[in-house]
Amino acid sequence: MAEALRRVLNAGCAARPGEDGAAGPPLLLLGAPRSAQTSLLFAAALEAAGEGRGSVLFVTRRPLQSLPLSTPTAREHWRLQKVRFQYPSSIQELLQLLASAHEAPAPTPSLLLLDGLEEYLAEDPSAQEAAYLAALLLDTAAFFSHRLGANGSCGLVVALETQKEAEADAPHLALLKRYFPAQCRLQPDALGLGQHCCLRASLELGKLSPRTEWSVSFLPCGEMKVTPWLAQASKLSPEKKDSSAGSQSLTLGCDNLPGPGSPSDGILTSETGADSKT
Amino acid sequence: MAVALPEVVEELLSEMAAAVRDSARIPDELLLSLEFVFGSSAIQALDLVDRESVTLISSPSGRRVYQVLGSSGKTYTCLASCHYCSCPAFSFSVLRKSDSLLCKHLLAIYLSQLLRNCQQLHVSDKQLTDLLMEDTRRIKGAAGTWTSKTEA
Repeated sequence: MAEALRRVLNAGCAARPGEDGAAGPPLLLLGAPRSAQTSLLFAAALEAAGEGRGSVLFVTRRPLQSLPLSTPTAREHWRLQKVRFQYPSSIQELLQLLASAHEAPAPTPSLLLLDGLEEYLAEDPSAQEAAYLAALLLDTAAFFSHRLGANGSCGLVVALETQKEAEADAPHLALLKRYFPAQCRLQPDALGLGQHCCLRASLELGKLSPRTEWSVSFLPCGEMKVTPWLAQASKLSPEKKDSSAGSQSLTLGCDNLPGPGSPSDGILTSETGADSKT
Repeated sequence: MAVALPEVVEELLSEMAAAVRDSARIPDELLLSLEFVFGSSAIQALDLVDRESVTLISSPSGRRVYQVLGSSGKTYTCLASCHYCSCPAFSFSVLRKSDSLLCKHLLAIYLSQLLRNCQQLHVSDKQLTDLLMEDTRRIKGAAGTWTSKTEA
């Protein structure tokens, strides 16, 4: 899936690699709690849904409280209709969902998203069970790719909440990284505080590949703005027209961002409130 | 299998595959290299292949999974798309201690592919699901004893 997320992050600039339909390696999306992981996954889902290569399977433990309906792409109902949501309530149900994926009716997903892996890991599975979950996620995406055949491959992105400082204690993280060599980390960016919530997204496709970084900011109007990290230091919003991307700046309701707590939380809560009417 | 092996292993396996294609046998020096990389697992894996212990199970959906009949008579499930085996050595030596690349069952799968003596079995889609889930029940059942054994 790395490719689907990269497309979302790359929407703000001209470079759009990976147009050949390749899904990229399976990706682990790491970030502190409330670092907009759900919003980014959702943006990736809508992006992939617009590509005309099949549907999207969005797996999460509980239904999203509100869909970011202010997103221009989300208002295109045909996109949302291509996203199938599944809510396995336990690790056992999640394993069952993956193990029986080949029994599910068509269409075959071209993107498999799992939000909130930490909620399943909170059930304290053994290392072997956690490894089996990771391996079965990869196997399910590989099966979907096999079924898509010449129509491309199925991407996989798994979001896991973890504090960078406490990463050594995060259960099974080393084991997960073995199955997910590509990782994208979301970190709050101190510079952004005050005006709007700002995150730094760092994508590494493997141990030897270079790191790519973006700045993701949530503007008061509820929009999500993505700019390449270096570019945003000098100029905040390079207004390049990229009509094929169709989503140069994505408007998201930031549903998973904030309850009150930190300064940035407060700002975003009010944004979400302003959005909720639309 | 999509999960990458170290280049040196990839190279060794492709050399072995080429040797099998050309002369239907694997030269001793390649077998020695295999043993050098995988230690005693190499001989054990070759033994499993000799006994035709590797079965590729597929369902009409096109999904596939491997089963390897271990030397103890136990059957282990291995995924076809990435490195995972339900045997204790995989959990311990590969995942936990990272001192082996593969367990002997996964190595046997690679070897049976290049020696083309993998057994084939077709099952229904439902049976394949049960097979994949059977594994999670076994993990659950084994988890208790495994923890106490390793912490002792």
